Amino acid sequence: MRKNIGLKIFAGLVFAFLLVPLFIIIVTSFGTNSTIQFPIKGFTLDWYSKVFDNEAFMDSFFLSLQVAFFATLLALIIGVPAAYSLARHKVFGRNWIKSFFLSPTIVPGLVVGYAMYQFIVIKFQFPIIQGLFLGHFLICLPYVIRVVGSTIEQLDFSIEEVSWTLGCTKLQAFIKVVLPNITSGIFASFMLAFINSFNNIPVSQFLSGPGVTMLPTSLMNYIEYNYDPSVSALSVILMLGTIVLMYVIEKTLGLASIS
Amino acid sequence: MSYVELKDIRVSYDNKANILKDLNLSIEKGELVSLLGPSGCGKTTTLRVIAGLIEPNDGEFLVDTQNLTKVPVHKREFGMVFQSYALFPHLTIKENVAFGLKLRKEKKNSIEKKVKDILAITGLEELGDRYPKQLSGGQRQRVALARALVIEPKLLLLDEPLSNLDAKLRLAMRIEIKRIQRQLGITSVFVTHDQEECFSISDRVAVMNKGVIEQFDTPEEIYNNPKTEFVARFIGFENFFELTPTEEWNYKAIDGTVFHSTRDWEPGKHTGTIRPDDIEITRNSKQTENNMVSGIIKVRTFLGKSYQYEVETPIGKLLANKTDDVVYQVGDEVTLSMPSHKLIIV
Amino acid sequence: MTQRRVPYLILAPGLILLILFLVLPLISTIFPTFFNGGFTFSNYTSFFLDEYNFGIFWRTIKISLIATLICVVLGVPTAYYISQSPKKWRGLLMSITLFPLLTNSVVRSFAWITILGQDGILNNALMNIGLLSKPLTMLYTEFAIVIGSVYLFLPLMVITLVGILENIDSEIMEAAETLGANRLIAFVKVILPLSVPGIIVGSILVFTGSLTAYTTPQLLGGNRNIMLATFLYQNATALGNWQGASVIALIMIVATLIVMKLFSWVAGRMDKRGEASA
Ligand SMILES: Nc1ncnc2c1ncn2[C@@H]1O[C@H](COP(=O)(O)OP(=O)(O)OP(=O)(O)O)[C@@H](O)[C@H]1O
Ligand SMILES: [Mg+2]
Repeated sequence: MRKNIGLKIFAGLVFAFLLVPLFIIIVTSFGTNSTIQFPIKGFTLDWYSKVFDNEAFMDSFFLSLQVAFFATLLALIIGVPAAYSLARHKVFGRNWIKSFFLSPTIVPGLVVGYAMYQFIVIKFQFPIIQGLFLGHFLICLPYVIRVVGSTIEQLDFSIEEVSWTLGCTKLQAFIKVVLPNITSGIFASFMLAFINSFNNIPVSQFLSGPGVTMLPTSLMNYIEYNYDPSVSALSVILMLGTIVLMYVIEKTLGLASIS
Repeated sequence: MSYVELKDIRVSYDNKANILKDLNLSIEKGELVSLLGPSGCGKTTTLRVIAGLIEPNDGEFLVDTQNLTKVPVHKREFGMVFQSYALFPHLTIKENVAFGLKLRKEKKNSIEKKVKDILAITGLEELGDRYPKQLSGGQRQRVALARALVIEPKLLLLDEPLSNLDAKLRLAMRIEIKRIQRQLGITSVFVTHDQEECFSISDRVAVMNKGVIEQFDTPEEIYNNPKTEFVARFIGFENFFELTPTEEWNYKAIDGTVFHSTRDWEPGKHTGTIRPDDIEITRNSKQTENNMVSGIIKVRTFLGKSYQYEVETPIGKLLANKTDDVVYQVGDEVTLSMPSHKLIIV
Repeated sequence: MTQRRVPYLILAPGLILLILFLVLPLISTIFPTFFNGGFTFSNYTSFFLDEYNFGIFWRTIKISLIATLICVVLGVPTAYYISQSPKKWRGLLMSITLFPLLTNSVVRSFAWITILGQDGILNNALMNIGLLSKPLTMLYTEFAIVIGSVYLFLPLMVITLVGILENIDSEIMEAAETLGANRLIAFVKVILPLSVPGIIVGSILVFTGSLTAYTTPQLLGGNRNIMLATFLYQNATALGNWQGASVIALIMIVATLIVMKLFSWVAGRMDKRGEASA
C-alpha cells in the first residue's frame, strides 16, 4: 500500500481541529487564575469543587438526568410496540404514520419548545416541568422508532411464527421471542435518545422556569455572565460522562451501532 | 372420513388472484404426505393454511372430525419445521425444545424427561446447553424437528426442511425424519420440490400445479402412472405428442402411425407420453409397424451412463436414451419404438 | 375481526401524544399568524420586506451555506481517510469523531469562546509570536458562528460519509489507478461521485442543523449577529412579540422542509445521471 502523505496531513489537521478545543478546555479547568487562561499558571482542583458547590448546577444536573431518563423511558414504552406494529402488521398508510413518528426531527427544537410553551403551559396551564418532560419525550421518540424499527426488520419473522405454532399468543410471542432478541436495538436507542435529550438545549429553552432549568441551559446562563474555569471544570465532568457512555456502548454494542 | 381434511380451500393474498383454488386433500392418520410441485405453485401456502398462519378465504379444514378453520395458530397444537429452522437465538437447545412444553405449564420434571427423550431420539444429547449459533446446519435442523415433535403434535408440518443442507446430509436426514415419524406415528405433511426426496420419504404424494392438486397417489403410482400432462412432465416424461383415439386402447398419430397402449384407458385423453429411457432406438428398418416412428438424429448429448438423442420425426421431436454400445451419429436415420406397456396417454 | 384493530390500538398512544403535544401546539401558534381581520399573508410579506428581518434571514442562510460547504470540503477527505485506514485504527478514529458529537453543544461552543475571544488563546498566541500588535475581533462575529457551526456539525458529516465510503470497493480506486489516473484524479473522478449520496444526506443534516441552531449563534454570535433561532427567542422573550416569534417559527419549519426537498431532488437528479452514464 502506498501512503498518501497529503491526505494523511489533511485528516490529521481535521482531527486536531476536532480535539484541540476540547483539550484546551480540559487544561484550563486546572488553572489558578480567576479567569480562563491558556497556558495555565499553577494547578488547582478548586474549580471542580466549585462546580459541586454550585447548587444551580447540581439541581439542574439531577433534573436533566431525570427528565432524560423518564422521557426516554416513555419513548421506549410507546415507541417499541409502535415500531413493532409498523414493521410487522398490515397498517393502512404505514409510511405516512412512520414519517409522522419521525416528524419531531424535522421541526426545529426551538420551535417545538416554543409551540409547547405557548400551547400547554400558557394556554392550558400545565406545569412547566410536564411540558419539559413531554418536549423531551418528543425528541426521544424518533430514535426509538428508527433504531428499534430497523432491528425488528432484521429479525427473522419465522421465529415468531414458530412460537405461535408452539402455543404462544401474539402477546406472549412478543414478550418471549421478540423482546429478548431486540435488546441491543432497545439499548442503542435508549443511549441515543438519552444522550440527545440530556444534551438538548433548544427544546428546553422556553420550557424552563424557577427551579426548572436543565443543565445545558443552566451552564449557558452561567457563561453569559461568568468567564471562570468552573465552566471548564463542569465541561470536563460532562466529557467524562461522554467517555463513560462511549465506553459502555463500545463494550456492549460497538460504537458502530449508534453512528 | 380421513384424519385430516382440506375441503375446497381457496386462498388469495390480495383478493385478486387465487393462489389456492378449491384445493381438496385427505390425509390418513399416521401417514406422511408430501406436497410436490414447482416453485410458486402454492405448497408453502397450503402448509400455512393447515398450520393456521393463513386463514383461507373459503373452505374448511378438519382434523379428527373437528373443524379447525377458525381456530388460531397457537391453539392448533401442530408442530412446524421451517426452512430457516427458526430457532430462538436467545435460548439454548434445551430451552428451545422445552419452549412449547413450558407454555403448556407442564411439571418441571416431566418437561425435563420429555426434552431428554426427544434429544436422545434426534441424537442431540450432547448439545443441550449450546446456543443455536454454535450448531451446524444439520444439528439445527434436528433441533427444529425435536422442538416440533416434543409437544406431541397432532400434525407435523415440514416446509422444505432439508433444502439448506448439503446433498449427503440431506440423504441422511431424510432417512432420519422418516424413522422418527414412523417411530412416533405422527401424521405429517412434508413440502419439497425435490422428487427423489419426496418419493423416498412419502406414503403418498400430492403433485401441485398453480394452486390445485393434479394428482394424489402413492409414489409408485405417480412415477409409473401420471394422470395429467403436468404431472408427467414434472416427473420426467419428456416426450409428448398428439394422438387421436380411434377405439379403446388404440390411437392414430398425425402421420397416420397407429399407436397402441395397454395402460389405463380413459376417453378424452389424447396426448401420448413416454420417458426417454423407455424408447427403444434401432437403425432405420424402413418398416412401418405399430408404435414405431422413424426420424433423423439432430443432437447427441453424452449423459454419462448413456447417450441422449434428439430425433426429428413426423410426429415431433422426441428424446431417447440409449445405453448400449452402438453409438449413432448426428444425421443418422433411426427408428424409435415405444413399447405399448410404456406408452402412457394423458 | 378485532385482530385487525390491534395495530391501530398499539399505534394510538404515540399518535395521540404527537397530535396533542406537537401538531396542535404548532397549529395553535402558527394559525393566528395568517389572520388579521381576515385571512392574510401580510405577516410573512412584511417580514421579508423589512430590511432588518430579511438581513437576519439572509445571514442565517448564508452562514448555513458556508458551514455546509466547509463541512463537505473538510469531511469528504477525512471520511475517505477513515474508511481506508486499517480496521484497528478505524475504531479509534471513529471515536475521535464521535466524541465531540456526543459532547454537549454548550461545551463545544464554550471552547471557541476561550479560543476566539479578545483576550482569547488565539489572539494571545498570535501577539506572542509577533504576528499581531493588537487583538483581532473574532468572537461575536459571523466568522465565529461559522467556525462554531462547522465544529458542531463536521462530525455528523464525517460519520455519515464513512458509512457510505466503507461500502465502496477499494478495488474501484485501484482500478482507476491502473487505468492511469493519479491518486488525486482518481479521487475526484471516482470516489467523489460515488460519495454524492452521503454528501447530500450529510449536507441536509448540516444545513438544516445550522439553519435552526440556537446555541451557537447565541453564544458565539453576540447581539449583533442574530440568526433565525435567536431572533425567535428574542421576539418571544425580550420583545414580547409572540406573533413575530410564531412567524419566525413557521419560516424555520418551511425553510427546513424546502432544504430537505431541494437536496433530495438534487440527489435524485445526480443519481439518474449516474445511471445513464453507467
Ligand atoms: N404474502 C404473500 N403475499 C402475496 N403473494 C404471496 C405471498 N406469499 C406467497 N405469495 C404468492 O403465492 C404463490 C404461492 O406461493 P408459495 O409460497 O405457496 O409457493 P411454494 O409452492 O411454496 O414455492 P417455493 O417452492 O418457491 O417455496 C406465489 O405465486 C407467491 O408469489
Ligand atoms: Mg415454499
